[in-house]
Amino acid sequence: MLTIPSQKARSFLRWLIPLVLIPLTVILGAVVFDEKRHLWISFAVALLAVILFLTGFERRAVGSRRMVLVSVMIAFCVIGRLIPFFKPVAALTVLTAVYLGGETGFMVGALSALLSNFYFGQGPWTAFQMLAWGLIGLLAGILSKPLQSRRLALLFYGVGSGVFYSLVMDVWTVISYHGHFHAGLYLGAVVTALPYTVLYALSNFIFLWFLGRPFGEKFGRIKRKYGI
Amino acid sequence: MRRFEEYNPVSVALYFASVTGIAMFCLNPILLVLSLLGSLSLFFLRNGRREGRSHLAYLGLFLVLSLVNPLVSHNGVTVLFVINDSPITAEALAYGVAAAGMVISVLYWFRSFTQIMTAERLLYLFGKLSPRLALVLSMGLRYVTLFQAQARRVRQTQTALGLYKEDNILDHMRGSLRVWSVMVTWALENGIVTADSMAARGYGIGKRSHFSRFTFGRGDWILLVITAFLFMMTCVSAGMGALDVMFYPSVRMAPRTPVAWVGYASYGILVLLPIMMEGVVKIKWKSFVSKI
Repeated sequence: MLTIPSQKARSFLRWLIPLVLIPLTVILGAVVFDEKRHLWISFAVALLAVILFLTGFERRAVGSRRMVLVSVMIAFCVIGRLIPFFKPVAALTVLTAVYLGGETGFMVGALSALLSNFYFGQGPWTAFQMLAWGLIGLLAGILSKPLQSRRLALLFYGVGSGVFYSLVMDVWTVISYHGHFHAGLYLGAVVTALPYTVLYALSNFIFLWFLGRPFGEKFGRIKRKYGI
Repeated sequence: MRRFEEYNPVSVALYFASVTGIAMFCLNPILLVLSLLGSLSLFFLRNGRREGRSHLAYLGLFLVLSLVNPLVSHNGVTVLFVINDSPITAEALAYGVAAAGMVISVLYWFRSFTQIMTAERLLYLFGKLSPRLALVLSMGLRYVTLFQAQARRVRQTQTALGLYKEDNILDHMRGSLRVWSVMVTWALENGIVTADSMAARGYGIGKRSHFSRFTFGRGDWILLVITAFLFMMTCVSAGMGALDVMFYPSVRMAPRTPVAWVGYASYGILVLLPIMMEGVVKIKWKSFVSKI
């Protein structure tokens, strides 16, 4: 992979992709494809956003300790996804992000989607799952202060992220079927997916309820013991 | 000629990207029928009668998806009948069937993709893009089985110590939580130790080399070039508007000019490639067996 030595160029790229390249893809897509093929545009946007963070991860000299911790958390997410009905993936992503930072959270969320789909089947939806879980992790990292200190905020965030995940995947359902966004179909998809939405929110709530404090203690202990 | 899955992952991945890309991009009925036939026959050729039940679920999905569009979209000039003052049109139904066919064919392509592109092959691809990413993923993959084995060991120890009775639901849950807690602590520490050990052996100093059992030979080049060529021909044909289909207000296909036939033929051959390879290899195998 290319390494960019200059710090300025790197931070420039980090702003270029979200502020210029992604809007450009959306606008070009709308103009050139005549708004017919939102599937491709959204697919490209999802991929661009994921690549943005992955390249940041590749370029920056992330400590190998942090890198191994990411693999450990990914493995837990994949094993967790084998549990029937209640999936702790989002909850584990949130906890990682809260205690180890947003970028690590994004990595764990996005790569858990990729790796667990080795077992569950890859497809165009992988990019959307990566984006949804990655963003849940990233946002949790940004909000880490209130989420760490207030348990209620953490549980509320868990419920919200369950709903968010379901809404993002409904966008994918509609776009993959219809080729572009259709409000009526989206409403239908949201309503039919309601049991799943409730299930996601509920399982996030349950897992954050039980795992929140112990995970905090364990991460804290690791941080103190090894000085990460 | 080898079996399709024995080609280099780069060629195979490019093949799947082209074949599903065209299927998702064009809602052209002829292309969709080709795609559907190709994906189904590849899947059946590789799996035979196994997975018999799952096809019913896909058939059900196809029916549901076909009927959703006419219920929400009321464009089109041919009204079939009226429900609750909203007209159900033949055009919307046709669009629904086409979209459903597209979704199902892509799903079947990806079922074969998941079977063919095993974790090892995908990691080889990722390793070409980003060695660090491939390392994180392959370590994660290894940890999945490692943690499962370790969790079993912890559970057995706890049972032997008499801390864990599985006949009581509450006790079972408490025991599971304890095992989980032990596992998390152990896994995090184990990870740090692994990282330190990697650093001690010089990880991150030089360029990473990685082992893979895939080579890129003449056959892989041929598959790559043929795929790229057929993909380009179909794209050119579609770009010239020869494969356009209008569903609204009434279904109209672009006239079947020679350019359009080039597009259909290219996509047809593209779809046939893996089926042909699997078929030839199977016939060869049978003939060798019969000679013994």
